[in-house]
Amino acid sequence: MAEVRLESISKSFGGLTVLPDLDLTVPEGSFTVLVGPSGCGKSTLLRIISGLEMPTAGTVRIGGQDVTFDEPSKRGISMVFQSYALYPHMTVAQNIDFGLRLAKVPAAERQTRVAEAARILALTDYLDRKPSQLSGGQRQRVAIGRSIVRQPKVFLFDEPLSNLDAALRTQMRVELAQLHQSLDATMIYVTHDQVEAMTLADQIVVMNAGRIEQVGAPMDLYDRPQTAFVAGFIGSPKMNLLPGTAIGRDDVATMGIRPEHIAVSDDTGYWPATAQVVETLGADTVVHAHVAGTGDVTVRLPGDRRLRAGETLFLTPERRHLHLFDADGHRMQDPA
Amino acid sequence: MTRGHLTRNLMRLAFLCIVASFVLAPMLATVLGGFKTNAEIRTNALGLPALWDTQFYGAIMSDPAFWRYLGNSLVISIGSVVLTLIVGAAAAYVFAQITFFGSRMLFSYVLLGLMFPFATAILPLFIKVRDIGLLDTYWAVILPQTAFSLSLAILLFRTFFAQLPKELFEAAYIDGCGYVRFFWRFTLPLSAPILATVGTFVFVQSWNNFLLPLVVLNSRDVFTWPLGMMQFRGEYVTQWNLTLAFVTLTILPAIVFFLAAQKYIVAGLTGGAVKG
Repeated sequence: MAEVRLESISKSFGGLTVLPDLDLTVPEGSFTVLVGPSGCGKSTLLRIISGLEMPTAGTVRIGGQDVTFDEPSKRGISMVFQSYALYPHMTVAQNIDFGLRLAKVPAAERQTRVAEAARILALTDYLDRKPSQLSGGQRQRVAIGRSIVRQPKVFLFDEPLSNLDAALRTQMRVELAQLHQSLDATMIYVTHDQVEAMTLADQIVVMNAGRIEQVGAPMDLYDRPQTAFVAGFIGSPKMNLLPGTAIGRDDVATMGIRPEHIAVSDDTGYWPATAQVVETLGADTVVHAHVAGTGDVTVRLPGDRRLRAGETLFLTPERRHLHLFDADGHRMQDPA
Repeated sequence: MTRGHLTRNLMRLAFLCIVASFVLAPMLATVLGGFKTNAEIRTNALGLPALWDTQFYGAIMSDPAFWRYLGNSLVISIGSVVLTLIVGAAAAYVFAQITFFGSRMLFSYVLLGLMFPFATAILPLFIKVRDIGLLDTYWAVILPQTAFSLSLAILLFRTFFAQLPKELFEAAYIDGCGYVRFFWRFTLPLSAPILATVGTFVFVQSWNNFLLPLVVLNSRDVFTWPLGMMQFRGEYVTQWNLTLAFVTLTILPAIVFFLAAQKYIVAGLTGGAVKG
């Protein structure tokens, strides 16, 4: 368990600057999720922490120690890859054991640690199998097992659930959260899926084009996004981002209102709108409506509310839930 | 099955039989020739022997020189294969894994060897081998053969190694595994198909090589089998039946080697490494 601190990190590949200049602190024992659209530099950042990539400038500190020029194996980290990267010619036990053997851990201790990891991850019955004989979820667990036996100070995850199907992903998400609680270790997790970020993290780092847009607890980001980008990225369905004129404010470049913060009425309201697509999800009904002269607005309604495409509705944004952004996309003072 | 379908299949079958016969007929003639007398070979080259006479095969098998030639060929071929695999794989690993200044140029230079015919180099080769003092040793054949097989081996290896998932190395690297250990523990074990392919190729080439051994080997003690075969060629008479029996017996190890390697050539070992 250790704190990870990145100081003025920059990274360029040839002439292309991926990370211009970046500072970030990952507190000890936290589950920090780096999230952002593809190509935003989040994976590069993780690879810099792991030591697979060298920063062009800047310092990486793990547990207070400068590890910028240390080999990955000397940093006290472990990493789980999107493609699992299991060793195909080794059994599950050998896969988990490999790092320990290289670190010359005595055989007896190795055995105990592998058995312990297998128990935590419910892999005990599969230790003699090859990766090709395992299902996707089991492979992912082996990859996690490989990282927990090394008892690292920091766990790194590079989109570990992207290759799993939806049901398995939800299950593994819960398992990862439990793992974090039981190991109490620092975890840094990269994903492009904001749902994973919201459910797993106690600190989310939203990145865009190599810069950090905002760092904070999931609900902070949800309630008070500091930029229009974060506002649009966090939350599902997406926040509605409309020009300020939609609420009669010329000084506001962009106003945002979440789909769940819009009141709907059949006869009176601020925006007259036409329902275009109605998605009934069971618990919720999501309506994509068009407001003439303003644009498209998404509204989330309780599941028992029945609507049909083509119906006219009246929408009223809840004033205290408005998010206002200036021309640079920065948050303006709260309206309420 | 329709009538047209049947005709087409029959024609296909007939064509394949003709092609196969081009390969098999000489082999068959060789095997059968070993059972015939010289006179019979001259009158009935392709048919079954009138009398299955095993004495020619027997004579060759009981000749200690035959076993010596075979042994020499085996040592030289296996030496060439092992050396080519180790040197070629190591070089290809560097080309596939590490980007360094001039790597592309160096790789192209190595590939130039593909266009260099063996026979044109035979004289300078002889002089070099003589100057180094390797004449009449196994190395006189092993080293040049290895050198000449390297271009193709490196080309094939590099393509294969480059297809191994990059994350595999990164995962091992984080586990504390360096380049050299990765080569021995991962790259080689996962490359059995390509090792078998290149190995077979080099083995068969070395096994059948005639020109190089002819030039650099003078002592009967180190003769390979193609040279040994020449003992049945006299100035006035060639003992065809002995020659054919000899060839039949010497071709067997190459076929065995091929059959043994065949299953690896088709096997895909990387299954389950990534995704699934």
